[in-house]
Amino acid sequence: MSLNLLPLAAPLFLLLAALFASSRPGRRAPHVAAVAERAAMSALAIAAGSLVLLLLQGPGDSALIGSAGIGLSARLDVISVTMLLLVSFVGWIVLRYSRTLLDGEARQGAFTGWLCAALAAVLLLVQAGNLVQLLGAWIATSFALHRLLLFYPERIGAQRAARKKRLFAVLGALSLAGSVLLMSVAFGTTDIAAINTMARTGDVSWHAPAAAGLLALAALLKSAQFPTHGWLTEVMEAPTPVSALLHAGVINAGGFLLIRFADVMLLAPGVLAVLAMVGGFTALFGALVMLTQPAVKTSLAWSTVAQMGFMILQCGLALFPLALLHIVAHSLYKAHAFLASGGAVEQVASIRRPGPVAIPDGGAVARAFFIALAIYGAIGAAFGLGFGFEHKSPQSLALGAILIFGVAYLLAQGLADAAPRALTTRTAIYATAAALGYFALQTVAEWLTAGVLPATPAPGRLEWTLMALAVLTFGLVAVAQALFPLWAGHPAAAGLRVHLSNGLYVNAMLDRMLGGWSVRKPS
Amino acid sequence: MLMTVHKTPLPGSEAVMAAAHGAARAIPPLWPLASSVAVNPFLGQTGEPLAVAAARLRRVAGIRLNMPRDWYRERHQSGELTDEDLAEALGAAPASMRPKTVPALKQALNVETSAARALPTVAELAREASGIDWQAVVDERISHWAAGYFDQGQALWAAAQGRSAYASWRTVAMHDLTPEIVGLARFAGTVADAPESAEAALIDAVETLGLSESALESCFHRLLASLGGWAQLARYRLWKAALAGGTDKTVIDLLAIRLVWEAALLRQYEHEIGTQWRETVTAHAEPVAASAEDHVDAILQEAAERAAQRQLRALFAEPRPAVPASSRPAMQMAFCIDVRSEVFRRALETLDPGISTLGFAGFFGMGIAHRRFGSDVVEARLPVLLRPGLFTCSGEQTPETERADRTARIAARAKRAWGRFKLAAVSSFAFVEATGPVYVGKLLRDALGLTRNAAPNDPAPRPADTIGLDQRIEMAETVLRAMSLTDRFARLVLIAGHGASVVNNPHASALHCGACGGYSGEVNARLLASLLNAPDVRTSLLARGIVVPEDTLFLAALHDTTTDDVTIYDADHSSVEHAADLTAARGWLQTAGGLARAERARRLPRAETQADIARRARDWAELRPEWALAGCQAFVAAPRWRTTGCDLGGRAFLHDYDWRRDEGFGVLELILTAPVVVASWISLQYYGSTVAPEVFGAGNKLLHNVTGGIGVVEGNGGLLRAGLPWQSVHDGNELAHEPLRLSVVIEAPQKAITGILERHADVRALLDNRWLHLFALGEDGRMAWRYAGNLSWDEAEVETLRLQAHA
Repeated sequence: MSLNLLPLAAPLFLLLAALFASSRPGRRAPHVAAVAERAAMSALAIAAGSLVLLLLQGPGDSALIGSAGIGLSARLDVISVTMLLLVSFVGWIVLRYSRTLLDGEARQGAFTGWLCAALAAVLLLVQAGNLVQLLGAWIATSFALHRLLLFYPERIGAQRAARKKRLFAVLGALSLAGSVLLMSVAFGTTDIAAINTMARTGDVSWHAPAAAGLLALAALLKSAQFPTHGWLTEVMEAPTPVSALLHAGVINAGGFLLIRFADVMLLAPGVLAVLAMVGGFTALFGALVMLTQPAVKTSLAWSTVAQMGFMILQCGLALFPLALLHIVAHSLYKAHAFLASGGAVEQVASIRRPGPVAIPDGGAVARAFFIALAIYGAIGAAFGLGFGFEHKSPQSLALGAILIFGVAYLLAQGLADAAPRALTTRTAIYATAAALGYFALQTVAEWLTAGVLPATPAPGRLEWTLMALAVLTFGLVAVAQALFPLWAGHPAAAGLRVHLSNGLYVNAMLDRMLGGWSVRKPS
Repeated sequence: MLMTVHKTPLPGSEAVMAAAHGAARAIPPLWPLASSVAVNPFLGQTGEPLAVAAARLRRVAGIRLNMPRDWYRERHQSGELTDEDLAEALGAAPASMRPKTVPALKQALNVETSAARALPTVAELAREASGIDWQAVVDERISHWAAGYFDQGQALWAAAQGRSAYASWRTVAMHDLTPEIVGLARFAGTVADAPESAEAALIDAVETLGLSESALESCFHRLLASLGGWAQLARYRLWKAALAGGTDKTVIDLLAIRLVWEAALLRQYEHEIGTQWRETVTAHAEPVAASAEDHVDAILQEAAERAAQRQLRALFAEPRPAVPASSRPAMQMAFCIDVRSEVFRRALETLDPGISTLGFAGFFGMGIAHRRFGSDVVEARLPVLLRPGLFTCSGEQTPETERADRTARIAARAKRAWGRFKLAAVSSFAFVEATGPVYVGKLLRDALGLTRNAAPNDPAPRPADTIGLDQRIEMAETVLRAMSLTDRFARLVLIAGHGASVVNNPHASALHCGACGGYSGEVNARLLASLLNAPDVRTSLLARGIVVPEDTLFLAALHDTTTDDVTIYDADHSSVEHAADLTAARGWLQTAGGLARAERARRLPRAETQADIARRARDWAELRPEWALAGCQAFVAAPRWRTTGCDLGGRAFLHDYDWRRDEGFGVLELILTAPVVVASWISLQYYGSTVAPEVFGAGNKLLHNVTGGIGVVEGNGGLLRAGLPWQSVHDGNELAHEPLRLSVVIEAPQKAITGILERHADVRALLDNRWLHLFALGEDGRMAWRYAGNLSWDEAEVETLRLQAHA
């Protein structure tokens, strides 16, 4: 039991480093950057230790340091250990990066301190064994992030983004607090594992679905879902490591919340349906806006909006293991993409070197979709034969179909008439590898979380409708995307592009409401 | 719909267009980051002295062109800037506007100047009147469109291509609802009603704004300056078009766009700001005149430069071995004139008295348009002042090369298809779920700096079409004579281009060779080596009086300025007889690299050992992998033995030049009109990025967001940023570049120099207006003569004494 307290050491190291850094907030303060990086490495080691602990003695909870259900306790299971490993790994990378990048900044120490504090808060959040710790860590994360976003407080753009972010953070914290209150009343405990167990038995009052609704609201606000996404696409006003940490660590808190309380969420199918709709819409919306963005970091930010939408869609379809996989995979990718965004000049230059892009026509696109579905069928059958068909829910099959539409896009590029044969072969190999990778990872995620996360329930009419809608819309966008060069030049598309590139003006209206463009009038 | 009451008659359309073209030329061009070069930010102001340019740019851009007064004061207090320097600078200033005495000038050191404020735009006046930050809204909206318009391939859904900037903007602005949401009524409608041609829109707006003819150019300059890097990028298109004998009107389009905004804002806020705007127009109509403060600033700047020149003069006055050794050198190595070569050359020369180095512009006379291996893109690898004279590509025309080329292209195209899969809608979800975990490896690799960056090694370059012997001989002879390399050839002659190995750096090309158009210099060096090794060329050179011994081998090399490693392209011309020479050369280069790294480590933050320096080249978070040309102060065109052993601290461009071999001074003319001008661009870019980083600097690297693959913006978006990032001129504690205009030191008769200046008005303007200082070395190698402007010379050393007596 006391061994289970181990994960709590991870945030402790970072918190100490944060305190040390805050005592030396200035430029090139001796040891600050090195201490911070070591603290992050220690946190990573603790996370690895927690994994060993989990393997040796299985899931469990630590004792509560505190009383009356209020205090610190660590939950040790595959979800928390996965998140601990993810956050501490990305945290170490980001702190190591900042050590060089921030060198010579006037407030280098302060930055390091807040970065450590933010990481500590996220680490506390993902291992929270009780509701109060969860809520406290949630709020602390927002606060530390706010300080990081305003690292250059004089920047108007930073203030504008931070103002929007704070509005949604406060709303999110309020709904989480409401949910925490409802859950502790409904279940009579603040222990998260106990709550999930009770929720699974199903015998609960009206409080629980209401709590699920508030949880969903908090998650939507935290994950920058439409129409509250505006702040996320504007936080490049802080140094690059902040973006990396935000997009790879903090933004996941919403999805994590839904996964952590998966059993509670299942009590409210209506709420899940709303999640699926908002998530699905945001995913398509974000992905389309992303296509129009000429600045690399802005494009990455819109990509995060879309990816978070997709993850929320997965939660809405009760595919919690896949949502967890998505969080991990997306975080790793996005952290790297932000930190390496300085390479965009070379990347863009290299696009034109090998000659023009071969444009697929309708026939090639049709063939690509057909082949992709065949690959899907073949690999699906192979995995089914290997691991059994019975645990494949219709929801996960629908999701697989959506993803395979993406693979079709890759194939279509190789099938264009102008593409040489060797290119066709290569893209076909890539497409197969992507499909294989996807199925393998999905199987691993399901296998790892079996027993910890609830199985996807059999779909009802609502779920079937949602699935059909999702497959249809994603399919349409995928086809449109593959045929893109054939219609993008049409004058009617020009207006659409303008509206999309402005994110359908949601941000402009929000700025107007919050006075984002106003200046203090001279008295 | 005329809302403004005019007191003056409206200017005619010809006058409007003339003013627009004039304003366009006042803006410096900005090269895209894929192959960027330093540009003189005062390119449009070189016809006037610093004080007047300062007054002009204060009025149109709200910047100062000098350091704050306390910078000069500190230099004076530390003794670096002496009273004599002040007296000299005062004496050299135009008599009418200068302070009366040196004490009066010293008094000015303690007075901080007032903050620079530009004349307001309508958008700024509207901001004051409405409480809505219209200037920021206009910047943001125009930038939002411009980023898409100039995008080179970042966005998969690109804005419609192949249209004029104005037409493209008009389509966007007709649909964009943002201005109305922010509070500009019916803007999309206004744009839809606006004329279809930029010229007509411009003339309409001039009418609405009530601009008088004399106010036009100043007002236009103000508006173009407010567009930051976007106007400069448009000006780059004009530059390119003019070099090819054409023209381009993107700048005019941008001006028209900005004017449509101004006119719309004036219509909406006419009632509140009409009077103030008319006052502003009147102010624009006033001729630009330097204030007393501007003159004092210019004198202080001149004094700081004279202080630095005093130190330079002392170096040249040191006794030196009078004549170079006449025996055959053990090895010769030609470098780029780039100031970074100076450190390495000095280190290399200490290793063996038989080593001789020389400096020449790093494209080595090979003005090429080059196609890389497996690439369709033609790269202009030559100084941007010139047009390419030779088309080249990589690899001999053999079946193997062609097969390799095809394979490389397929690999690149498959990678590109994967890249599109990663970014496209819907497929990006599949990409993340299928490959996300792979990024653990990538994160580790990059965080630990495990990638080795190898020197570029395409198959050897060759002319795309065979060129005749006559032309090749002509090229060879021209280059050798221009390098003053016509005798005493060593067995091994290395021709070293340079490049910088860095990762994850949007400004990487700024660290490469400017003379090679912002690319690394190995292609040009390899071409020259193969040209000079050709037996037929060698034979024909004999007839032209250049005897290259049979056992002389030319080899290209690449000096990596980040790591100070040198790669020799010996496989291009493998020679068994030269194996020993090559081994010796490699040994020397390695040792010299160590010495150079040790010297550079003293200037770089977080570099204690040589290994620290090598690591910087692979560190993806490194903002200061090297200092590039920061600190550049002097340009020397003289035989190397005038400066051998002299520690110029990596601050001097060194061009080999022996006037005694330059019949008719053709080489001197080339030096004054090409490398000197390029060096002035570099020096003045550093100057501008240091004194006015908000306009002529690229901002904070921590916030850089690469846009369209062409440039950077700070943070979310907004104006494109030109110039050098702050981290490239500042090390966190202090400036790494002292903003001092370049001192050009030439060993040649003054009469010859004057004669050339008479023929080249633009070079003369640079010197007469002191954007450059010019000195001529005397017979004894001292900096004996100072160019005093107006084709006259002062005796530099007696000048001090004379002025002391005078003061």
